[in-house]
Order: sequence, then structure tokens, then C-alpha cells
Amino acid sequence: MSIKITRRDFLKLTAAAVGTVAIGDVASAAVDCDDCHKLAAVPARKQPHQWIPSYCNMCGGMSGIHIDILPNEITGETMVMKVGPNPYNPTGVSNNSKDYFDNIGEGSALCARGNAAVELLYDPDRLQKPMRRTNPAKGRGVEPKFEEITWPEAIAEISEKLGTLKAAGESHKLVWFADGQNYKHLQEDFCNLYGTPNHFQYNQNSDSARKAALKISMGEENAMLDAVESKYILLFGSNPLSSIKHGYEVRTIIRGIENGARLIVVDPYLSFTATKAHEWLPIKPGTDGAFALAMAHVIIKEGLFDEEFIDHWTLGFNDFANFVKDKTPQWAEDITGLSKEIITHTARELALTKPAAIDIGAGVTQHSNAVQTGRAIAALAALTGQIDRRGTIVFPNMGGLARQDVSYDDITEPSLDGDYPFADNSYIGALDAITTGKPYKPKIGVVMGENVVMSTPGTNEVVNALKALEFLVVVGTHINETSELADIVLPATTQFESYDLNENYITWPSVALRQPAIEPLFNQMTEYETIIALGENLKLKTSDGEEFFKGLDYLEYLEAELKNGPSGLSIAELQKLDGAVWTDKVNGTSYEKYRQKVVAPSGSQVDSDGVLHDSNGNAIGVTVWDTFYNGFDTKSRKFEFVSEHLEDLNDANGKMINKMPVYTPVEAIPSWDYPLYLINWHESAHYSVNTQNNVYLNELKWDNPVAIHPKTAEKLNIKTGDKIEVESEYGKASMLALLTDRIRPDTVGWMHGFGHWRMGDVADGKGANVYDVVPMKAEAITGNQMSKEAVVDIRKE
Amino acid sequence: MAKERIQRINGEWGRPEIVESKEGQLAMVIDLRRCIGCHSCSIACKQENQVPLTFYRSWVKQMEKGTYPLVSTFNLPRLCNQCEKPVCVTVCPVTATFKREDGITLVDSRVCVGCKACIAACPYDARFVNPKKGTKYFGRGTADKCTFCAHRVDGGAKPACVLACPTKARYFGDLEDPNSEVSRIIAKNPVQTIKPHLGTEPHVFYIDASSEIMGRMEMKPRLGRVEGHGGGDSGEHGEE
Repeated sequence: MSIKITRRDFLKLTAAAVGTVAIGDVASAAVDCDDCHKLAAVPARKQPHQWIPSYCNMCGGMSGIHIDILPNEITGETMVMKVGPNPYNPTGVSNNSKDYFDNIGEGSALCARGNAAVELLYDPDRLQKPMRRTNPAKGRGVEPKFEEITWPEAIAEISEKLGTLKAAGESHKLVWFADGQNYKHLQEDFCNLYGTPNHFQYNQNSDSARKAALKISMGEENAMLDAVESKYILLFGSNPLSSIKHGYEVRTIIRGIENGARLIVVDPYLSFTATKAHEWLPIKPGTDGAFALAMAHVIIKEGLFDEEFIDHWTLGFNDFANFVKDKTPQWAEDITGLSKEIITHTARELALTKPAAIDIGAGVTQHSNAVQTGRAIAALAALTGQIDRRGTIVFPNMGGLARQDVSYDDITEPSLDGDYPFADNSYIGALDAITTGKPYKPKIGVVMGENVVMSTPGTNEVVNALKALEFLVVVGTHINETSELADIVLPATTQFESYDLNENYITWPSVALRQPAIEPLFNQMTEYETIIALGENLKLKTSDGEEFFKGLDYLEYLEAELKNGPSGLSIAELQKLDGAVWTDKVNGTSYEKYRQKVVAPSGSQVDSDGVLHDSNGNAIGVTVWDTFYNGFDTKSRKFEFVSEHLEDLNDANGKMINKMPVYTPVEAIPSWDYPLYLINWHESAHYSVNTQNNVYLNELKWDNPVAIHPKTAEKLNIKTGDKIEVESEYGKASMLALLTDRIRPDTVGWMHGFGHWRMGDVADGKGANVYDVVPMKAEAITGNQMSKEAVVDIRKE
Repeated sequence: MAKERIQRINGEWGRPEIVESKEGQLAMVIDLRRCIGCHSCSIACKQENQVPLTFYRSWVKQMEKGTYPLVSTFNLPRLCNQCEKPVCVTVCPVTATFKREDGITLVDSRVCVGCKACIAACPYDARFVNPKKGTKYFGRGTADKCTFCAHRVDGGAKPACVLACPTKARYFGDLEDPNSEVSRIIAKNPVQTIKPHLGTEPHVFYIDASSEIMGRMEMKPRLGRVEGHGGGDSGEHGEE
């Protein structure tokens, strides 16, 4: 098989921006910021530094960065010196357009991980060359005995395997795990053209229960907090101040509090968000649904609900009111461990303080009852009329890129996570299929930029599933626990070495450009070049018979998406904008989109429930006051307290989904053998399982001791620093103990992400892996991983 | 005295860009109501100033207070206090540590002999021996500490920690300029300093600092270790 690897021409576009610029010239370079201008004149810096605007990739948040580079005049090589915040990128400032344009001068946010990114780039443990496995035995901790191969060899071998699979008519047996944030559309196109429905994205996978709950009830899966305008912020199991995904989250919540908002956090652990809160409600893990229903009971019983909103914009209020009649605060007190006074008080405060913003986080969504709990919490927002209004949970109008349609032949085979009615990229659905062979057993796996073994609960089960694949390719910056099972590993690029575009996750249209500050360090192919080379070798065709990847240039691919979007810019034009970011200056954050009038198009029909359907049968509006309004994007075009259509669906366990947002106890309940709940959380020092080998971040946080309440520890005679064993029905791990009052006495917990055994010298052997104790289980409606659901016993070792 | 000292250094070692400065009194105000303990400042400082591993010029002390469920955590971002009356300058036997006209206290690593007197004298534990700094004449391992990013300040930029702070809890500017950001913030808010009774008159001010977290500032000779980052030390564990 012949292969063609096009030589990247990185400097093609950046020639103007990245060329050698003398000190005096920096000010005239288009890509710069005020601070950088000043720094250019710093006499202590004898060499000319330059600043490249880009965006970060340390987590999925994609905050803006400025990369400080220093060209070495002798060797001609460019070094990345440091990373700073990009003040123009709204991701680091605000998700509210008014706040962004008013306060852009305040500067942008960049978290510890973003600041430490240079240590990822120059990490000596980075994978430099493609490798092939020589040891046929696969397993956890089994040395793969990788041998170095050339890029053409690697691409040829992967192409050959994929070609054979496709030729056998089994192209659906390719399963593709992606991070869901980089080169996203190109990977989707590759999978579509190759003919596999099995393209799974991690970013979506861990969040899908929240999306499903919000989609079912209010019709917008990406609804987000408008914290800066809010007067009351109620967070269920959400920890934005220490997970710091999008930089604006921390800034807007803190500004919201300064503007007079009250922050209430419902969480079994006093997270750093909870420390900033006015009230911390330490709830029993997985019982948030009962708490929300009891709050609804109080709000309805005391007549504190928003009658106008409920009359016109919601469905099933009376049924819901009947349903919560017996869900008294007393009932919830026994379940949640929070007193009935607290429940009543919180309900009244929520109903009487407006605007109020309510959100759910991973503390809710990674439980077995996630979707129904999410719906119960969403119902609180509807009862008080706090949806898509200023300072509430608002519906974003993201955008900036126009996804270019690539026509592909229909894929008839079901997706591997097809059992889940609201499946959204379920890793566990796919991994289960490899183990059980149902609906079919995939043969080839590709993992791009993700560490599936460490980031999915039930590490041993994940290892067993992945090693059962006939051929596994892993693309990553490091050899990690997933690459340990790979047949071929390819070195990936960092955010300093590649191009990409990102639609900023804010409430109005905005696009940011990622551009390389330096050429790939090891002369490796970027991920997109790899995908294009594979597609070219496989001669993947669109349904028009055109070879899509032949001679495809990723920059042109991106340019088409950008040019056809609302900005209409070319990449070169975007690059010249301040901070290489485009934000819509006309269409800012908008509210109450459900109240927008809709003109009935020709051929449209109104059904008996007053829902307006277009000629294709899609619901496009709803009748209120004899006029058509936009409404919510649900089945009934209204907010649904009760969703009748759910009863037509079965979850993955074959059970009918309840139309009511019922409270069901979680599956893992403390017992005699395993008396404690186990939870886990993210902290600002690390993102998931990806940053533990970063020396700066490792120095901040190198360990994840188990947080135990002093009373619990006293009974077991455990002291801080003791080595303890945490055991669940599924597995065990040994760790140090940390006594703290920050956690419920019936719960223990630790930070997620440690316990690496094959990532690099810095990360290996530090801390313990949470997922050695939590089984590989998914929530039955969406396939969301149930990372927070386990009960354990602890003992001194 | 300072001017003479600067002239001597200039003549001998020549680093005019660092020792000469504008006149004024630079200061920092840290609003603890905004601080979320994310350590962004610590890392921004490290990469800006190439601080070697295991040392911090700027760090965040974290403390837990109360009993469940009435419990909270406190953050105290720490750095050199840039005192009005710096003890380190007084004790330095070779006058390697000096104060600039704009109030920043610096160490000239070409003069420092690494005797560690300043490290022992500093009541704020702000100094450490930087094994990478020094000259071939006196050997490596001279005293080092936060410089308020003097090199950035001279170019008109803010210190790296101020720029990186996600919640913008840090303000920086000239105290002698009544219109500067710090002057306005200090005029409007009650501010605290660490260990005011020592009479060092720090120029790093805190808003809403709890007496508990300020009070636990004991003098402990912990070279190469940073407060709040000790492994098993309950309550001071560097976790979020």
C-alpha cells in the first residue's frame, strides 16, 4: 500500500506573525496584547520575545492563552517560554456579553493547569516516535515491549488493518474514542465516511445525564448559569470553582456574589465552591432528587410559584403538584440527612429571591438516578419561572462555525451504546459491547487524546475490554495506561504545535483560533495529518463518489467552517484580530427566547395540544394567547414537568422510564459489609487523569489521600497519614488517610486522577486510582458513567 | 545609602535595568473574598521566574477551620511582603539585599554569598536558597524571593500572579499615587497585613483576612519547604 504524508507547512499562515521580529517591531505585530506591548520594552529581556494568541488544551474548557516564544538566533529554534491569559477571549472573562464588553479591561482568567502547560510541552516523558508492540500478551502492567517504527510504517500498518476491516464489510466494527474537544469534526467525518457509528467523545460522555435531563424538561442541553447577573445561585453537586473548566465560571460566580448573590451548594463534601458559598448543605450522596422534590412541595404548598410562567409555558403542573403532595420536607429529611427546616428555608429563599440560577453538576449526574434527579431539579427552575431569563439558567446562542456537510452512505448497523435511549457518546456502552459481544463485537479501536483506562470507572474491566480488541491504536502525548494495551502508539501534539478552531462555550457566538507557536517538537504528524493520511490511504469516498481526504488541507477544512459561519472571516483574518478570537458584537446574550413569536410557515399544522408543526412534522412553536410562540425545544414545545413520551421508552435495563421526575434511591447503599459512601471530585491542580505527569502541577498536588470525617476515623482508630485500605465489592486500593471535617461522617472521598502506573516518572506510583474501587457501570438512560456510585469499607493496613 | 549602593553595584557588576527604578511605593492588595485557592498565581510565578522545583516565590497557604457541618477553608496567598523596613536588608552582611526607589526589595545574586542570614531573619518565611542562582566566584545557591516581578514592572506590566489570577483578586500599583488602583482599594476597604506588630510595615495588604490564618504564621525553619504544602500536615495540606 502506498502512502503519502504531506509535509506540514506550519509557517504558511503564521509567517507574518511568527517571523523574527525585533524589539521595536513587536508593537506593530497584529497579534499582541497591551501587557505584551509593555513587556516588549523590558530591558531585562535582551532577546525579542513574541506572543502568539491561541487557546488552551489542558482540559476541555479551551480558555484563551497568549504563548510567549523566544526565537533562538543561533540555532534558529523557537522555545516556548511561558503561557499567559489571553484577555480578549471571552472564555476567560465572561459568558455574558454585557459583562464581557464592560469588563474586558479587568483581564482574563487562566488557571494553574493552563499556566503549567509549558511543562507538558517539554515533558521528557513525552512520546516522540511511533511505536509498535512486540509483546503479544496484553494486560494491566504487562510490558508492551514497544519498538520504534517510522511514521510511514505506522500509517501503512494502520491503513492496512482498517482497509481489511472495511473490505470485509465490517467497518462498523471500528470503535473510535476521542476527547471531544480537538479536531472534532474531522474525526466525525472520518468515522462517517469509514462507515462506523461508533465515535465516542469523552467530554460528552461524562455529562450526558445532565444534558438528557435538561433536554427532556426544558429542551436545551447546554443551558448554563448566568451567574454574574444572578441574585441566588443554587448548585447541586457542582464544583466550578475548583474544577475551573471555563475560566469565566470562577470570575462570574465571584462577581455574582459581589453583586449581592447568595450562593448555596448542595454537596456531601465541602468543595472549594462550597467554601465560597453562603450555605453548604451536606447532603447524603445521591439523594438530591428527594431534596428537590421536597422543595417543590414547599413552593407549591405555600403558593410561591410563578403562576404566569406555569400557566403559559409549562406542561403537567397539576399532575406534578399531585405527585409532590406527599413529598414533604419530613419525608426528605429521612432520605437526605438534611433537616426539614433547612429544606423549607431553602425552598422559600429560592422562590422569593429572583433572579435565581439553578444548576446540576457531576455530583448528581454520575449516579444511577441522575436523569430523574436532574428533571426534579429542573422543575424547581420552572416552578419559580427562572429559566432563560436574565440571571437564571440561560440558553446559549453559541456558534461561529458552520459545520460543513459531508454526504456519506447510510450506516445501517446500530451504535454500540444503542441500548441507552438518550445515549450520548457512552464509553461504557462501547466497552460493554466489546466484553459481551452485544449487539456485536468491535474489532479495531482508535483512541485519540484520551486515557480510557484511567478515566472510565472499573479500571480492570476497561483493561479487559480493550485488550479483547484485535487491534488498538492510541494517539497520545505520553505512553499511558491505555497505550499499554495498544498495538501501535502514535505521538500526539500539544496545543503549542497545531491548528484548530473552537466555538467558545459562552452564550453568544464566538470563535477562537489555535495556532502553533512552534513546529511539532519531534517532527511528529499532527492528529489531523494522521487522520487525513489514513483517509487518503483508505480512499474514503463521500456518497457522491468523491475521495474526501485526497489532498485535503486541514486549514482549508477549517476555513470553510469559519467562512460560512456568522463571522465570514478567513483564518488569516481571524488570526489578525485581537487575541485571534472573534466575538459577535451585535448579537449578544439574549433572554426569553421562548417568548419570541413564530410566524407559521406554509404547510404548517397545529395539533390538538396547540403545538405548531412545520410541513416535515417538526414541532416549531406553541400556541399561547392564540399566538404562535417559539416555546421550548421539547416534545410539547413547553417546559415539561411530566413527559408522557418517556413511557414509550425502555432504559438499558429494560425498565420503562417514569414520566414523573421520581426519586429512586441509588444502587449503592451502605451495608454492614460496606458501611460508607465513596465519592470523588476534581481539584484545580489537575484535570481528570491527564496532568499528573506535569512537574509543576504534581508539586502542587502529588497525592490524593482519602478524606475521612474525624468521628468515623476515631471509631476505626485511623489518624491522618495512616496507610489505609479502601475496599468495595468490586475492588480495593490502598491510600493515606486525611482526617477532615469537610466531609459527611457517612462518606469518604478522594480526588480523582491519581494512581498512574505507566504515564511517566513524575506521575507513576503516586496516589491511588479511584476507579479501582468503583465498578464499570453506566446510568441506564444515557450511559453516563456512574463514577460516584460505590460503597466501601476502610481499614488500617 | 541606597543610591550609593546602586552606584557601586552598577559600577562593579552592571545591572542598571534592575536596580534603577522610578520613585514611588509599589504595593499589592489581595482580596481574599475573591481568592478561591486555585494556585494559579503560584504556577504563573514559577514559569515567569523560572523558580526551581520544590521552591515557591509565591504560594497559597490553605487552612481548614471549624467542625462539621460548620466548617470552612481559608486561603492566604503569600509572597514577599516588600516591607517598608525590611529586616533582610538590615542583616545582610554584604549588602546584597537592597531596596529600590520604588520600594521593591531585591537580592543581587552576584553579590550574595549565600550565608542565609536573611532567610533566618525574614519573619514571613518568604526567602529560600535558590540552588540555580549565583556566580562562579561565590558559587551557586544564593538567597531568592519574590521580586514583585521587577523586570515586568519596569516594562510597565503587572506581576505575573496579578495577570494570571482567575478571579482578579490581586491589585497592584503605586501607593503614593492617590489615583492608583491599590490606593483606591485601600481607601475603600479595611486592610490587614501579616504580623503588623513586628513593625516591618509590609506592602502586601489583605482584604477580609481571618485572624486565624494570619495568626498561624509561626516561624519555622523549613528550608526548601513551603507552608501549606507539607504532606501529612492536617489542615495545611495543599489540597482543595
